[in-house]
Amino acid sequence: MLVVDGLTKLFPGGRGITDVSFTVDQGEVFGFLGPNGAGKSTTIRHIMGFMKPDRGSASIKGLDTWKQQGVVQKLVGYLPGEIAFIEGMTGKEFLDFLARMQRVDSLARRGELIDRLQFDVTTPIRKMSKGMKQKVGIVAAFMHNPELIILDEPTSGLDPLMQQLFIELVLEEKARGTTFLMSSHSFPEIERTCDRAAIIKDGRLVATNNIHELQSMQRKLVIIVFEHQEDAEAFVLGGHVPIESRDGRRVTVAVQGNYNGLIHEAAKYKVRSLDIAAQNLEDVFMQYYDRKEAAAQ
Amino acid sequence: MNFPLFKQMMKIHVKGMSNYAFGSAFYILLMFWLYPGIADNTGALNELLQSMPEGIVNAFNFQGGFGSMEAFISGEYYGLILPLLLSIFSIMLSTGLMARLVDQGSMSYLLSTPTTRRQVAATQASVLSAGLLLIILVTTGAGLLGYVWFIGDRFEFNGMRYIEMNVVAWMLFIAASGITFLVSSVMNDEKKALGISGFIIIGMFALDMLGKISSSVEWLRYGSIFSLYRQSDIAAGSGDPLFASLVLLAIGLACFTAGIIAFSKRDLPL
Repeated sequence: MLVVDGLTKLFPGGRGITDVSFTVDQGEVFGFLGPNGAGKSTTIRHIMGFMKPDRGSASIKGLDTWKQQGVVQKLVGYLPGEIAFIEGMTGKEFLDFLARMQRVDSLARRGELIDRLQFDVTTPIRKMSKGMKQKVGIVAAFMHNPELIILDEPTSGLDPLMQQLFIELVLEEKARGTTFLMSSHSFPEIERTCDRAAIIKDGRLVATNNIHELQSMQRKLVIIVFEHQEDAEAFVLGGHVPIESRDGRRVTVAVQGNYNGLIHEAAKYKVRSLDIAAQNLEDVFMQYYDRKEAAAQ
Repeated sequence: MNFPLFKQMMKIHVKGMSNYAFGSAFYILLMFWLYPGIADNTGALNELLQSMPEGIVNAFNFQGGFGSMEAFISGEYYGLILPLLLSIFSIMLSTGLMARLVDQGSMSYLLSTPTTRRQVAATQASVLSAGLLLIILVTTGAGLLGYVWFIGDRFEFNGMRYIEMNVVAWMLFIAASGITFLVSSVMNDEKKALGISGFIIIGMFALDMLGKISSSVEWLRYGSIFSLYRQSDIAAGSGDPLFASLVLLAIGLACFTAGIIAFSKRDLPL
């Protein structure tokens, strides 16, 4: 469906992307992960045909996105990372206008999406909150039933309830055979919808993995507060689980895959509370690199 | 050309366009209304003009004197106010149609639909041209109406020359808006586009004015499209308005085409 092949674009100042290649298959939800400034948006700009690659290409169903700009767009729905609508319109006027530009009669589907996302479509765009603009953007990307939907950081600005709804929408569309490319800097956002994910850092693709592999790679910090300080000490001294730090009755454990071991060990003592702090993506990456380097040595 | 886009852009900008058009119409009507009072004192006013340095008279396009209606209107309106009004219009609207959409990012929505960049740029160019045509038509119409209302048969008025004057003014601003459109098409920053196109157009206007003040710096005028716009010559029945119109039209078309091509080939930071 989507083939990115050796895409290279260097900006003056040294930033840019180098030799980015990946393939997204029909009906797949593909995550595109990376910290801010890693080159996610630059890659997406090339896929949307906004920029001319120095080398390499991006193509959708065999159509080059730069050379065939204007044709490729028939297949694509797009949610920009920073949404900017044309000034002086209401949400409804904008969606009507975009539907005419897309040349698809999408009235029924649009109504359905607006109902689901629950927002007042007659609000002037300049009075909309970030979350509301995001909703209009989501409707605009989905309404014409495109074969490929490209979403640049789709859930930013949405509250948890709407994030949940958004995930449902993506999964429904996926069931219908729609292909997705979704960029994000947060792992949990990708985790629940994607089949595979690519990780980009400093303009280079470091890995393309099955999402389950990434999940098992992710290290979580479990914070356990014990009832008694002695218990905490004994737990730490037991040495069965990798301890990150200890502060009185409070013990932080780093878990990666071995959840059973942790539960087994902690169950021996009285636990007052338990908290899980997911690691941020940066840490997941760091660990990924470490592992790779270790393997290389 | 993309019709839904054209319609939407016209809808957004028609209010601004009409403001310019009606402002211009009102001003020209006022001039026609004033003329009878001035015409009675033509002799005195012409003497006043003669007592002023020639350069100043030329610079402000009063060289036609106050002898005829079209000479009066060419000096009073077509020499200074209309060019300034249309300059501002061209600079503002071409920036608003291209550079602003890129700067804000809303261009990404237009380009995410099955429309080529050339179509988008050509549509925006036609919105700009339509706006110019609207202003010129309303202005010309108001002038003719003013003639019927206030002048009638009382004073000399050559309608053909008046229309010629409007056609050349229109062509001048096809050229000027071509230049501003080209600037706006290659800029990512709205303020920069505004600044640079403003600098070029107002700069050309100033060059032409300076060139007219003194014959020693007359060469300055040749760097300016405004030197092709000699409304006082037209009012006096001399000059070559057809040639001037064709050159201005050619400049305008070349710049619009260059803008459309440049826009379709460049990287957009959307």
